[in-house]
Amino acid sequence: MSVGADNLKHIVVLMMENRSFDHMLGGLSLIIANGAKKYPGINGLTGNESNPDTAGSDVKVAPGAKFQSQLDPDPDHHFPGVDLQIFGGAPPGPGRVANMKGFVKDYFTQTNNVNGSHNIMNYFTPDKLPVLTTLATEFALFNGWFSSIPGPTICNRAFAHYGTSFGQVGMDVFYTLDPILSVYERMVAGGHTAKIYYYDQQSSTMEIVNILKNQPQIFGSYSQFVSDCQTGSLPEYSFIEPCYNDHPGPDGGEVLASDQHPDHNVQEGERFIAGVYNAIRTSPSLWGTTALLVVYDEHGGIFDHVPPPACTPDGYQAKPADTGTSETFLFDRLGVRVPAILVSPYVPKGIVVPGPEDPANARIFEHASIPATVTNFFLNGDAKRTIREEKASTFLDLLSGPMRADSDIPYFNL
Amino acid sequence: MVTASKVIEVPKPEPGSYKPRRPAGLLLRAQALHVREALLKHLEELAGILTVDPKSLETEADVSAYVHGATAILHRHAGRPK
Repeated sequence: MSVGADNLKHIVVLMMENRSFDHMLGGLSLIIANGAKKYPGINGLTGNESNPDTAGSDVKVAPGAKFQSQLDPDPDHHFPGVDLQIFGGAPPGPGRVANMKGFVKDYFTQTNNVNGSHNIMNYFTPDKLPVLTTLATEFALFNGWFSSIPGPTICNRAFAHYGTSFGQVGMDVFYTLDPILSVYERMVAGGHTAKIYYYDQQSSTMEIVNILKNQPQIFGSYSQFVSDCQTGSLPEYSFIEPCYNDHPGPDGGEVLASDQHPDHNVQEGERFIAGVYNAIRTSPSLWGTTALLVVYDEHGGIFDHVPPPACTPDGYQAKPADTGTSETFLFDRLGVRVPAILVSPYVPKGIVVPGPEDPANARIFEHASIPATVTNFFLNGDAKRTIREEKASTFLDLLSGPMRADSDIPYFNL
Repeated sequence: MVTASKVIEVPKPEPGSYKPRRPAGLLLRAQALHVREALLKHLEELAGILTVDPKSLETEADVSAYVHGATAILHRHAGRPK
């Protein structure tokens, strides 16, 4: 193992909501310094990517993304809608090509307004997102991290917890009778520690299956996470959930959703990401022993230009009645690409993990990579898992450098 | 103690960003449904315990099984995160 992995004691995953790679980070590819691309390895935007709208015009990507009040109504990100986004409206069947040309048409089904449907092509200029772009350019950015399913939140998050969604492609209530345990239960059963930190009780968790399985001992709040960082009592594996809704605070103040799910405020999410990072960064006992993964659960219906690749099926099928299309989905291809960044002082500065744009060196990641990495590292892979998770790429080899100097590591001033 | 030379300022959302009256989206509605299902599971478990009359317990094994089940439920409802 690398020095970084040898010293590793904690893995922390922060999973945000519903933003695509190009929307959040694609603008990094458009920065020019000294006559050349400043970040040539990043597979972001050229500025020429486009989608046709329902009036026959071609709509290019545009640097017009706003923090709030722009993606309202919420873009469609359920299975049939994502199918349209990826395949441009070609019906399911052999030989159809993922062209990423249906995002504007699909958003029109929500907006019923041609100009409004163009908003789905907007991206943030990097100066608007100082936290995410700093982490992306200071640590390891994945060009090829995809959501696990071309569908919505709950089934995608299930892959982060179980390495499968047990055949679900939607938001329905589901139970699992499988012998596949969540990564938290695996850890506890193996004598290790693990916890899901949800923001507060008003926000609660989207780890739905576990609350159905009566596992409250593996849950904590975000304030507990901060306290656990300060007191050196962080579990070996932690999964952090942002705040999912605007609600009054305990002192009567305003608590904003920090998940960045449209139409929630993106800047509040930036502050939350920075808070999680700072909690680890400022702890002398944690900073050199912790790897932090910041990742988004799915693209939220927002444009990305990279066609999702095939993947190892997980052994389940979703019938046409469940997919909402004429297709039986075999879980053999991934959803749309999302931002993912691995943070550690052992990650060399500004590395980019190649994705599908570099077939010879491509490394494809998805949310099953999370339990795969945790299970391999802490449990030597000793757990009942889907073949999908067993085959999933893991990421701790990226802790490949010597520990970087403290003065070389950013800090966020909140 | 942090000695970073790269201090990044993080802006706050503009006043007026707080919108608790925003209509709940599909995700939050689904979450509420899932949480209700979880409550029903607890209710079934609670009902199972409450149908047993403690006065009907005769042996130490009977009592220990009953107390075990009740304590497990009470334990889960104690010390919840705030």
